[in-house]
Amino acid sequence: MIELKDVSKVVTSGSEQLTILDTLNLNVPSGQFLSVVGPSGSGKSTLLGLIAGLDAPSAGSVIIDGEDLTALDEDRLARLRGDKIGFVFQFFHLIPSLTAYENVLVPMELAEAPRPAEKAHRLLDEVGLSDRKHHYPSQLSGGEQQRVAIARALANDPAILLADEPTGNLDSANGRHVIDLLVDVHRKRKTTIVLATHDAALAARGNVILTLRGGRVDSLREISGDKETRAKPRVTASSPS
Amino acid sequence: MNFVFRMAGREMRASWRRLVFFFICVAIGVAAIVALRSVVQNIRATLVQEAKTLTAADVIVQSDRPWDDGTRAIMDQSLAAFPVTARTESIETMTMTAPADEDKEIATMIELRALQPAFPLYGDLVLESGRPYSHHLLENRGALVRPELLTRLGIQVGDGVAIGGQVYTVRDVIVKEPGQPLGVFRFGPRVLVDYDDLVRSELLGVGGRVRYQVLLRTDEASIDPLIGTLTEALRREYVSVRSYRETGDQLGRRLGRAEDYLSLVGFVIVILGGIGIWSVVGVFMRRKLKSIAILKCVGASTKQIFGVYLIQVVGLGLGGSVLGLGLAHLAVESVPPGVVVGLSMEDYGVTWSAVLQGVGIGVLVSVLFSLIPLMESRRIKPLLLLRQQMDRPAASGKKTGRLGTIDVWELAAAGAVLIALIALASWQAGDFEVGLMVTTSFAVVAVVLHLTGMLLVRAIEPLGRKGSFPFRHAVLGLSRPGNQTRMILLAVGLGTFFILGTRGIEANLLEQFRMELEDDAPDMFLVDLQPDQVTPAEERLMSLGAREVRMVPVLRARVTGVQGRDVTLQGYEEVREERRLRREFTVTYRDHLEANERILEGRFWDPTPSSEAEVSIEDDFQEDVGIQVGDMMRFDILGREVGARVTSIRDVEWDDARNGGFMFVFRPGALANAPHTFLGFVKAPLDSLARAKLQRDIVAEFPNVSIVDLRDILLTLHGVVEKLALAVTLVGAIALISGVMILVGSVAMTKFQRQYEASILRTLGASGKTVRRMVLLEYGTLGALAGTVGGLGAPLLTWVLCEHLFDVPWQPNLAWSLYAIPLTALGVTIVGMATTLDILRNKPLAILRAE
Repeated sequence: MIELKDVSKVVTSGSEQLTILDTLNLNVPSGQFLSVVGPSGSGKSTLLGLIAGLDAPSAGSVIIDGEDLTALDEDRLARLRGDKIGFVFQFFHLIPSLTAYENVLVPMELAEAPRPAEKAHRLLDEVGLSDRKHHYPSQLSGGEQQRVAIARALANDPAILLADEPTGNLDSANGRHVIDLLVDVHRKRKTTIVLATHDAALAARGNVILTLRGGRVDSLREISGDKETRAKPRVTASSPS
Repeated sequence: MNFVFRMAGREMRASWRRLVFFFICVAIGVAAIVALRSVVQNIRATLVQEAKTLTAADVIVQSDRPWDDGTRAIMDQSLAAFPVTARTESIETMTMTAPADEDKEIATMIELRALQPAFPLYGDLVLESGRPYSHHLLENRGALVRPELLTRLGIQVGDGVAIGGQVYTVRDVIVKEPGQPLGVFRFGPRVLVDYDDLVRSELLGVGGRVRYQVLLRTDEASIDPLIGTLTEALRREYVSVRSYRETGDQLGRRLGRAEDYLSLVGFVIVILGGIGIWSVVGVFMRRKLKSIAILKCVGASTKQIFGVYLIQVVGLGLGGSVLGLGLAHLAVESVPPGVVVGLSMEDYGVTWSAVLQGVGIGVLVSVLFSLIPLMESRRIKPLLLLRQQMDRPAASGKKTGRLGTIDVWELAAAGAVLIALIALASWQAGDFEVGLMVTTSFAVVAVVLHLTGMLLVRAIEPLGRKGSFPFRHAVLGLSRPGNQTRMILLAVGLGTFFILGTRGIEANLLEQFRMELEDDAPDMFLVDLQPDQVTPAEERLMSLGAREVRMVPVLRARVTGVQGRDVTLQGYEEVREERRLRREFTVTYRDHLEANERILEGRFWDPTPSSEAEVSIEDDFQEDVGIQVGDMMRFDILGREVGARVTSIRDVEWDDARNGGFMFVFRPGALANAPHTFLGFVKAPLDSLARAKLQRDIVAEFPNVSIVDLRDILLTLHGVVEKLALAVTLVGAIALISGVMILVGSVAMTKFQRQYEASILRTLGASGKTVRRMVLLEYGTLGALAGTVGGLGAPLLTWVLCEHLFDVPWQPNLAWSLYAIPLTALGVTIVGMATTLDILRNKPLAILRAE
């Protein structure tokens, strides 16, 4: 499902070269819930960005569903994201000029999905925002905005859901609500989830925890999940020296 | 596609407030263009009317021979294809007249014109008695005469005059007569008689110069094809065909200048509107970074996103244009008819062509000026969403102060925009060269401003570590990535450039018009004074109240040969092949240059007379024929052969012909013995009674002299120039006001970029005073720099256009440029401060949350 081969990411800041990811190999089979943890700057967000095709690796290749992202141009990447990948950000990133309902509607309209209105309503009902559908993002609380963002991420029934610190800007009650939603999505829709967080308790809600340190794999730990998940192919990760 | 439209609609619904200014810019631009167009059209209509009055017809067909049946048949056949709505004939001839009372032993030359009932096809014949002109006044040997004739012959209305063996009764006196071309010397006073009376007389059979004319009225569009067809059909018949337009030359040149100016101002206002649009779209796109990144993240293609914003731009352009049409209509309606004398606005209405033109320009300019900022959307990477400070412009990834990577598409777009602007400017100014010049100067100033911005940022960057807190932050504000530096410099600099430039041209044109109006030109001419009459006539004229008298010797001359470096013409036959040389010239001799003359080459002679003939030629002969300084020319002056060496080449300002203009001027001495007469340039008394007495007394004393009174024509001309000057002033004011409004808006728009920083500083404890000082320094610097570049560039624009388009002497307005610098700085600072008030008054949290 998600495959990274010898992926490195180096950025130039002034005259210095900064290595964010250092020859990373990662394989996330379909249906897994991978939590990526590590201190700030360990490369978590960059990893998610590479998987979503928001960023290009300096070396190596990123393969999603058999398709090499490094070979695609911006527009093909955008279409691929629209079809296969949902993204939830720490800062929600709703389009401020659209209502909650319209924010959910947009990915479906772009993908020309059938009966998008009906589905947008259902998704918002599912995340518990039935009565706030026609509010603008600025009229919603952080937790509500993040739930709209999840509904939006699910709009095209993506095979992969990427969440970058989705609770980082929320209080604990709202954070729990959001994580419950993600776990629910994983369980009911069999969506492959990659969650970046530095909250150990949150990370433990996944099946596998990948710890990054200085852009390299520090450890990969499996958590006893349900029977179904255990039966699936394993997540593998390594950073050859 | 559906998505694109739906998304554009939603975006507009949410952000229309921020785009109101866009809307206003388009509206002002379109309103200005449409209003100016109607002013231009009305001026043109007024002057066309004047020009038609001068010929009394749309088209005149003229022949020196009576119309024979064959010619008439050809003419009728040719005219059948055109919508000729009126046709009348007249005959003009020069003849002598004398009082019917044979006791009075006096006779004088007159210009006789015989009219059919339909005359005049345009204009009114005004009579001294005040009664309307009717052809009945001419029937049964009636005559209408100019007042000079009465004074010259010592007769009154009701008396008889003998013309061609018949006696006509003077029935009234002509005050104003249509169908007399400007600036054409007359050989005697005009007398109008009936066509049939003249045909029945013996006059036409006796030889002498007779002109047979057919006057036609048709619609404007048919004039040129009609002339073409007639000229072709009658080419064997010694017939000339011309339209009223050729007669209106003197008016035409001034009208041309005023029209060019108005069109140019219209275009400049549109460009100013475009700058406003560009600044709004620039700011708008920066605020849309996040939305665009999100759209890309959820699967929108670059094309779709571009489409979403392009549709908004087109929609706003359309709406703004419609509002502009309304504004134009209101503006034109609300001008009281008395204010714009003579610019009758009754024809103005929102015509379909005006609507299409206005809307077309509005939308085109909206798209053109939005294109480059809109292309920023292509560069926005969805990766920004993973960063925290994402709605800061820095995230665009492009550093100000560095050229960055060259983007082929953006270059192509810039090229396309430039070409479209040149086309638009050429269309509006009606001239490709002008479009090119205006657009090029626009591009040059924009590049200079851009470089200035880059240099400024680089130069002050090191200062950001020293000095007081407001100073350091002002420096940081100017040099931080995604700042408003470039925007304000470009918008205000270009705005200042164009506003000052058009003001400069306005001042130059008005100066020219003022000179013409104040110009107390000679308004009466004495023709055919004999050399021995010069001194007594001068004395008599002064005693009769003339304000100034100048006597100029005139000779009739033909060129019979040129022996030159580049051109040799042996004898009259060869000279005749040279179009410019073949006519008979009126020449003069004098020892000085006139104010309207300038030596281009060679040297003008010393005042001492010389027996060896020297001649100074007009520069057309050098350009068109190739006659050079040092060449020998031969002239036939009333039968005497005179050889003269060309010693100088002159430029003559024909517009300023108060002292006459001569193609050939000779050195005094050689022609002293040649037969010649004098032409008197007289500034006659302004009082009409004194004027009449002067004419009467001069004619009585010097019966061989003809008097031509040009006062009426000069007054008409002055009236026209006054109207043009008024129109130019009005339009200049419109340009100034709308330009300043757009600039204020452009600067105010940048507040959206800086209120976030200001709010954070407020949150961190910066006092209102600190924030105000920062703004003062930032905006003051930008205003001063923009004012300097724009102000110094403006005289250049004025110079180029005065020289190449308006053909008026350029007078620099450097003082204006110098005032412009502090004024622009002050203006930009005040607007900056005013928009900051908002930030200082509101709680910072409100702004931070809204961000």
